[in-house]
Amino acid sequence: MAEQKRLAMVIDTKRCMACNSCAVACKIENNLPNNIWWNRVMTAGGENLDSPEGTYPHLKMMNITVACQHCDNPACVKVCPVGATYQDPETGVVRQDYDKCIGCRMCMAACPYTGVRSFNWEEPQYHLDFAVGDADVSPHQKHTVEKCTFCWHRLAKGVQPACVEVCTARARYFGDLNDPESEVSKLIRDREYMQLLPERDTHPSVYYLV
Amino acid sequence: MSENIKATPSPKTPAAKFGGAGLNVGIVVAAILTVVGLVLWGIQLSGGMIQTNMRNMDSWGIYITMFMFFVGLSAGGLIISSIPRAFGMKGFGGISKIAVWTSITCTCLAIGYVVVDLGGPFRVWELFVYSNLGSPLMWDIIVLFVYLILSIVYLWATLRHEAGKVSATALRVVSFVALVCAVLVHSVTAWIFSLQQAHDMWHTALMAPWFVSSALVCGTGLVMIAVIALRAVGYLKLDQAYLVKMAKMLGAFVCVDLYFFGCDLLTEVFPQGEGAGIVSMLVSGPLAPFFWLEVIGCAIAAVICFVPQLRSNAGLVIAAALAIIGIFCKRFQLLVGGFQQPNLDYAVALTPTAVTNYTGGMDAAFTGLVYTPTMLELGIVVGVLGLGALILLLGLKFLPLKPVED
Repeated sequence: MAEQKRLAMVIDTKRCMACNSCAVACKIENNLPNNIWWNRVMTAGGENLDSPEGTYPHLKMMNITVACQHCDNPACVKVCPVGATYQDPETGVVRQDYDKCIGCRMCMAACPYTGVRSFNWEEPQYHLDFAVGDADVSPHQKHTVEKCTFCWHRLAKGVQPACVEVCTARARYFGDLNDPESEVSKLIRDREYMQLLPERDTHPSVYYLV
Repeated sequence: MSENIKATPSPKTPAAKFGGAGLNVGIVVAAILTVVGLVLWGIQLSGGMIQTNMRNMDSWGIYITMFMFFVGLSAGGLIISSIPRAFGMKGFGGISKIAVWTSITCTCLAIGYVVVDLGGPFRVWELFVYSNLGSPLMWDIIVLFVYLILSIVYLWATLRHEAGKVSATALRVVSFVALVCAVLVHSVTAWIFSLQQAHDMWHTALMAPWFVSSALVCGTGLVMIAVIALRAVGYLKLDQAYLVKMAKMLGAFVCVDLYFFGCDLLTEVFPQGEGAGIVSMLVSGPLAPFFWLEVIGCAIAAVICFVPQLRSNAGLVIAAALAIIGIFCKRFQLLVGGFQQPNLDYAVALTPTAVTNYTGGMDAAFTGLVYTPTMLELGIVVGVLGLGALILLLGLKFLPLKPVED
């Protein structure tokens, strides 16, 4: 029986040390063009990256890794005029079809998490003269919008997204929220968590343990 | 009253014998601008939109501003000519055909600005094959095309009516349908922005009626300028009383528009929450020049429209121009203002494609205007305007748009 899944990511901010491994793994796995990062590390509170919040000795620092939130109520999917961005009905993953995208950038305007969607503002260029990562990743296209796919090509092979796989602090978890016995379900049942911009009513599928 | 057509030409504009050299020069200049615009658009498409200043965090710019602006401008002509007819009131002295022609021109330009904004203009056919009817952008595309076709039908019906081939009732029905469609066009354009929960500045129910009022302001302004100019060059003759009537309408529309603005600002600032940031961004922040130009310009326009002594030809042109500039400033505030406040205000490393001014980090990127157009964008904007001038002038040259009777 094919039950409907809701694939989600849980990220333990207590364990994250902002090593950027997830961002780099994402970049390589998906052969991202220059200047494009689907997954970025952010520092909460401080003025600059890796700077703490507050005044010495009352300092605190939290790092948040932000990629597409794969919302359960995605603002981007509703506004795309051609259905190039759509929600996979079986997994809840928000997907992007580069071949369909007309480059109107309505989804980028509609997404509250500005910056998780990237537009290829020019012909994709690469520092290396050969492709890296998985051969099943869709080729990047000029003048189309792209973003984190939850490593769709890896999910198809039954493995976890690359960022989860490489996390040196084991801060990232991936699984099905509709399965009460999954690791992600247990974590958000037992631990205190936050979500990004819950007031925007997008119901993100990324949870941050705090 | 065909003798009206031979009204005295203004001595200041010798180049304006209709069908004469002046008009032809205008058409050639407009055509050259259009071609230059097309070349620049080709450069944008081949070299990539990296040549614009739009980036991931401010993903729309001057093109979508101009799109909003021209959807608004397209309103005036159609509404001015269809309201009197739809409700059986006295009209504006037979200028309705000219007015509708300005509407048609502006609608074409609005579509043009969306097309130059697209990353993949060669994929537009998908809009009709893979239509997501839930997207406000799709609604806008549909309504805009219907509006364009209806405007053309309305112009055609007016001409046929004058030739005695279409009954007054039929024309009245067409004008009523066109009027409803005009209101819809502005509402739907507003919904592209106001139905999104992502940006506080856009997410307000007032947006649709406010777009209608802004459209009435700049549309009426455009028709006034066009009519005064055409009267000055002897294309048509129009009693000053009609212009005074239009000026009073413009004044009223300006007041309604400012009132909506005031309502929106008060609602945003009063809770002293997130919205207070929007108000300070407009009143004293990076968008302040546009805000004050709009508010003061529109206030002056209203005064000119309401004080009889100020309603000279020059005064009316100034009022109409101030109103149009004011509405352009509003469009710019609305578009840039939506992107001016980052939702995720965390420190992050920025790449050149993340945001327009990426070098100084998040704070620096959002301190001044988050977006300003590049020369290439401005060139394409002028090119599309050239196309508009071309359509307008070709209409004046070849179409029977002169007033026949009221």
